[in-house]
Amino acid sequence: MTKLLQKSATLCVVLALAGAACSAPRGAADPPDDTFVIGLSSEFDNLSPVLGFSPDGGSLIFDGLMSRAPDLTIKPALAAEPPTVSANGTTVTFTLKEGLKFHDGKPLTSKDVEYTYEALLDPANGSTIRSDYSAIKDVAAPDARTVVFGLRYPYAPFVQRTTLGIVPMGTMEKTRPVGSGPYRFVSWTPGDKIVLEANKEYWGGAPAISRLVLAFAPDDNVRATRVRAGEFDATVLPPKAAAGLRGRQDLSVYDVPSADYRAIVFPMTQPVTGDRAVRRAFGLALDRQAMVDTILAGAGVPAYGPISPDTGWHDPEVTGGTDPEAAGRLLDEAGWIMGEDGIREKDGRDAEFTLMYPAGDSLRKELALAAASDAKRIGLRVEPIGLDWDAIEARLDRDAAVMGFGSPYDPDYVNYELFHSDFKGQGFFNPGRYDNPEADRLLEQGRASGEQAERERIYADFQKVVRDDEVYSYLVFLKHVYVIRGRYEGIVPGVDGHEHATGGLFAGIHTWKPAA
Amino acid sequence: MVAWRAAFAVPLLVTVTIVMFALAQASPFDPVRQYLGERALVTSPEVVESIRQNWGLDRPVLEQYATWFGNLVSGELGESRSLHRPVSEIIGERLGWTLLATGSALVLMFAGSLVVGTLAAWRRGSWVDRVITGGAFANEAAPVFWLGLLAIWVFAVQLGWLPAGGLTDAASTTIDPADVAAHLVLPVAVLAISQSSWLVLYVRESVIGVLREDFVIGARARGLRERTVIVRHALRSALLPFLTLLGARMPELVTGAILVETIFSWPGVAAASVQAALAVDFPLLAALTLLGTAAVLAGNLLADIAYTVADPRVRTLGVG
Amino acid sequence: MPVRFAAGTLVLLALAVLLVPPVVQLDQSLVDLRAAGQPPSLSHPLGTDEVGRDVLIRSIYGLRVSFLVGLVAALVSMVIGGLMGLAAGTLGGLPDRLLMRVVDGFNALPHLLFGIFIVALFAPSATAVVISVGVTHWTTAARIVRSEVLSLRSRPFVEAAISGGSTRMRVVRRHLLPHLFPHLTLATVLMMPHAIWHETALSFLGLGLPPHLASLGNMINDGQRSLLTGDWWSSLMPGLFILVPTLAVSVLAQHWRDRRSPRWRSELEL
Repeated sequence: MTKLLQKSATLCVVLALAGAACSAPRGAADPPDDTFVIGLSSEFDNLSPVLGFSPDGGSLIFDGLMSRAPDLTIKPALAAEPPTVSANGTTVTFTLKEGLKFHDGKPLTSKDVEYTYEALLDPANGSTIRSDYSAIKDVAAPDARTVVFGLRYPYAPFVQRTTLGIVPMGTMEKTRPVGSGPYRFVSWTPGDKIVLEANKEYWGGAPAISRLVLAFAPDDNVRATRVRAGEFDATVLPPKAAAGLRGRQDLSVYDVPSADYRAIVFPMTQPVTGDRAVRRAFGLALDRQAMVDTILAGAGVPAYGPISPDTGWHDPEVTGGTDPEAAGRLLDEAGWIMGEDGIREKDGRDAEFTLMYPAGDSLRKELALAAASDAKRIGLRVEPIGLDWDAIEARLDRDAAVMGFGSPYDPDYVNYELFHSDFKGQGFFNPGRYDNPEADRLLEQGRASGEQAERERIYADFQKVVRDDEVYSYLVFLKHVYVIRGRYEGIVPGVDGHEHATGGLFAGIHTWKPAA
Repeated sequence: MVAWRAAFAVPLLVTVTIVMFALAQASPFDPVRQYLGERALVTSPEVVESIRQNWGLDRPVLEQYATWFGNLVSGELGESRSLHRPVSEIIGERLGWTLLATGSALVLMFAGSLVVGTLAAWRRGSWVDRVITGGAFANEAAPVFWLGLLAIWVFAVQLGWLPAGGLTDAASTTIDPADVAAHLVLPVAVLAISQSSWLVLYVRESVIGVLREDFVIGARARGLRERTVIVRHALRSALLPFLTLLGARMPELVTGAILVETIFSWPGVAAASVQAALAVDFPLLAALTLLGTAAVLAGNLLADIAYTVADPRVRTLGVG
Repeated sequence: MPVRFAAGTLVLLALAVLLVPPVVQLDQSLVDLRAAGQPPSLSHPLGTDEVGRDVLIRSIYGLRVSFLVGLVAALVSMVIGGLMGLAAGTLGGLPDRLLMRVVDGFNALPHLLFGIFIVALFAPSATAVVISVGVTHWTTAARIVRSEVLSLRSRPFVEAAISGGSTRMRVVRRHLLPHLFPHLTLATVLMMPHAIWHETALSFLGLGLPPHLASLGNMINDGQRSLLTGDWWSSLMPGLFILVPTLAVSVLAQHWRDRRSPRWRSELEL
């Protein structure tokens, strides 16, 4: 018991230092009305945008030059207006708003922006997101409100990348961040929670919710129990865990569409999976709706390509369905003849391949098993195997794998690395060794082109090319299920990416207001 | 005996560090990949290489061991690769909670086994005895993780009496003792029950033995109340095996703590070892394994000391 | 549990493990999403799990896998322990003292923690489980063998052989091993429930057998998620397949101990 008292005493001191009074212990079920607790599944590695914390916006603590609205449009944040891009597309100039301040009261100037990007690009800092910014050649701050980026090549999605949070010059703070965003950092109890409080002087208006607690609870069932008990005001849950919370008076459930997909990548250089007919037949055999209904408990949509149907970049012609008979005909035509054991063969080779899934991921495990069961019906033997990521990476040239990617922001994101032949076999980039000059050309054009309509056309063609080649068999787009206690105005669901945390629905929490 | 144990502990712990480091070297896992987690999928290979250099993973194996062991001795346990924080900090935060849970479980186990074992002996051969004995055997056979799930299903899901896991209700910014106590009930009860079969049976047998002895019969004949006789002798007869249990069954207690903390998401060191293992977080896992071994050795040592103090005969008999 | 009942249960489970798999084929990679989450019924006596697999059939297959892994792990620990105990008992003196210190050292290790350590560093697999159980559990066998060897050494026929000039190896081969063999066999059998427990505990923590394989630990782990939504059968039922045989073995062991060899009591507290 002494230990316990000691613990709470320490906590009180920490809170007191942070400017909060240590109130007498309250009943658990009645947090003060202005504290909002979000249950998150994973803790942050660090809170430094330079080292990869929340680069796509939604950090709550930091602002980027630009920010992203729920409808995925990009609008100025620290920047006063959208940037000007030079005619050749390689010089991008931003002008900052006037009177910007960090939470500690120091002014935010172009020097801070310059520092942030240079620190990110410095290999010595070992930032995990450095390669996303490899288009930047240099950053300059000619005066206090002007930032000029020089690019190595014209890069249309560059503005999308400027949602990166800006840190004060000279700080590499990992755990006690100072930013300029709607919430200021109060404390971090590692393994437990982060406390934030509203930045009353926020340029975008003071948030109505004045205190935010980001509590970490990796276990899905624990988060579900706690939001039901009123300990959490909001959380994100896998669809199955949220099933019991729907239809309750005190809770609102938001199924937010996402670009987060699960798909099976094929090794293109292997005799069985290298045969386009096998891949296409496999894709036709999959009962994606059953996967959505059972494995995702309904919170998802079938996937047929790398671009989410909820974004403007999606080509409506890229769709499909389940047709085992057509799959069988395709295999017959390609010479894969049904054997006596129910497995097809061609030239003495059985139609079989191994499908790897990460052993700790039960969603991918179940998808792999469901896909293997569907394939069995058309005479393909698929052997699932659960491995760790190291082992999976080493075998990607030989075996198929269940992968998860997806960004709603720009079709160049991730896809360039996943499909361009320059990235063949580089770790998890282009894992299947896909090599199609047509796809390469489209990706290069899409990246360099500045014209929106032209880009849409290019990426529509790109989606058809990878659909026809069945580079991946796409399974499902997940819906991220948010459960929120009470009624709030201003909640605007958008389209989430593969990684979300306080991005996604919570990115706009500073504009939420308790409903009357 | 005690001095021998203490002297034995140091070389054993050193050997354990060597074995662990050798195993880690032989491991096919790439620590940088584990560090990056899912982001490894979108991180370029050159970034991976620079992290490897920063960590000194390109230096000779012996040099790496010397550095690691030197740091270990000076109390510098390194940085956890999955939680990105100093290992000593993680252990410091979590150890108290593990001690609270296992300590409470030990007290409950001792008290509970004493009562239940004595009851069975007192009503020997009755249905009470048969239920208790049978229950103890079944309990010994039931895996503790299964018992934990059963408890969650009954008390948290069906009856809704107790929280299914965690340390406190998350919204509270202070640690409220009553709140912690409510969260403590299930894990402590499951841990205590899962470890208690052996003690219950032992108490039962020794009390039965005591009841047959002449002086008890004599005491009864002198008109002492039966309850007084039983309680006094049962207590005495259970104390020594309990001390032995602390020593000899420490490994089982550590094992039980690992499983119970994991099931009830109790934020202790034992649960952290599973998280560290799943993330192949060598610095944290190695420190926790060492800590577990040290706990067992300390338990043995304490049991020896206590035994020697409690029963001077042991010294000459050389038990153990 | 009466002895006959325990023996009967074990025979029944052994028959199920031996006879059911050849009759009812289970393709470990197949699921049936349309039959997911069904409570116990006539067609699925123990219900189906969250991807529609029959819990009863998988439990029987799981028991078989656990049995095999447990058997191999117990054998590995018996071989290591047997060699150690034999060496300690026959060599005597300093080697004996050193080896017994090693045994003490291994006994001081928290077994599951070391198992976790080994499995974590070498990718979860049946082999890793067998090795992790084997190298942490040989001490029981070592102690049994050593004490048997010590008592055999003082027996007349062994003493006669030694004084008659037989080499040490010959004495071990001709006289000691034949006597040790039945003890080792029995110790292996008694070791099995514990080895099975270890395998299921590691699998339950996600550190054991491949996750889609029908193993009791995997099944309990899989079912853990559906437990909170009320599907108790998919996690609680497989647990009975660990509990019942373990209980039966311990009843038989208790019976045997009381009858035959009180000397082993402490050694067999596994």
